[in-house]
Amino acid sequence: MSAEAGTSTRTATKTYRPAMGTGWWTRKRHYFLYMVREFTALPLALWLLWLLYEIQRAGRGPTGYYPPASTAFVIFSVICLLFALYHSFTFLSLAGVILHFKVLDKPVPSRLIVLSQFGMWLVASLVIGGVLIGFGR
Amino acid sequence: MAEKRITIRATRFDPEKDSEPRLQSYDIPFSDDSMVVLDALNYIKSHVDGSLSYRWSCRMGICGSCGMTVNGTPKLTCAAFLRDYYPNPVTVTPLNNFPIVRDLVVDMEDFMQKLKSIKPWIIRKQELPLGAGEHRQTMNQIDDFRQFSQCINCMLCYAACPVYGLDDKFLGPAAIALARRYNLDSRDQGIKDRLPVLASPDGVWECSFVGECSVVCPKGVDPAKAIQQTKLDTTMRFVLPYGNRE
Repeated sequence: MSAEAGTSTRTATKTYRPAMGTGWWTRKRHYFLYMVREFTALPLALWLLWLLYEIQRAGRGPTGYYPPASTAFVIFSVICLLFALYHSFTFLSLAGVILHFKVLDKPVPSRLIVLSQFGMWLVASLVIGGVLIGFGR
Repeated sequence: MAEKRITIRATRFDPEKDSEPRLQSYDIPFSDDSMVVLDALNYIKSHVDGSLSYRWSCRMGICGSCGMTVNGTPKLTCAAFLRDYYPNPVTVTPLNNFPIVRDLVVDMEDFMQKLKSIKPWIIRKQELPLGAGEHRQTMNQIDDFRQFSQCINCMLCYAACPVYGLDDKFLGPAAIALARRYNLDSRDQGIKDRLPVLASPDGVWECSFVGECSVVCPKGVDPAKAIQQTKLDTTMRFVLPYGNRE
């Protein structure tokens, strides 16, 4: 705690106002996981920027285009994939907390909402994967 | 058999003498497994040091007065059993994120102002005459808001919230949970009176969903849920045609 004593206008009593240190997120596991969750957006953004660059490169036509295949790029992509999976997992898990609706005047259980979100994620992944593989052939 | 003893380390701060808080250790008897941290503080005040200051009242998890930080976690001290910490020392400090008035007592004024700002009472556009009878509700209607009505204003959620710790302009978990409690109440018609506060830059959008407020709540309220649902509601009211209807 840093010394930052202030004066309350209501009671005119001197109070001590503790300040949060920059390492507050290391105090608890929950805080740490929250920071990891927020941080996952950064590698995802970097990978998407790279994807935009690749689309721009591929836009010039198939002649002379070659996909990146270096070891460093594969490692970078795998790390980004892990972050993307963690990001998606936390995002979809939280959907059950946020969404609330009723069917036949009964609230839909959070667990069912979360399971349906993961189900839709799986279906969307299979469809997109199928389309990409189909176009690739 | 030797008497069991436990060490309690409590924050001491005298605004007239001290420039910053310090910890003071007290070695006290741990005579009964049902002893809670509040019992230990009461023992210290009665038998060791009468100048120790802290808030408490009901001693049964109802009044919400005795919230303090116990070994780094915001807790009601009347519900924090010493047996869960023994034989290690127990460190009791004031609730995080609030100005310290004296020892373990924090200044609640900011919270009280925030609580008042969301109008935590039933608002009617026009009061029905007494002769019209009760405002009846079905069990389903009560279930809509029941969990949010359990809040006892103990402020543990504010002490656990890093967003409030970093920016005390944030409306905060308990105030938003109580606003949601009234907005969901079928008898209430005051949502438009609360929305300007809830949807302000210091309202629900300041929350980045850490979720620790819901973890520490001693009454099982889920303020994080209330905040995220209010975000969704305010967005829907803005986006959907006729979304701003009553």
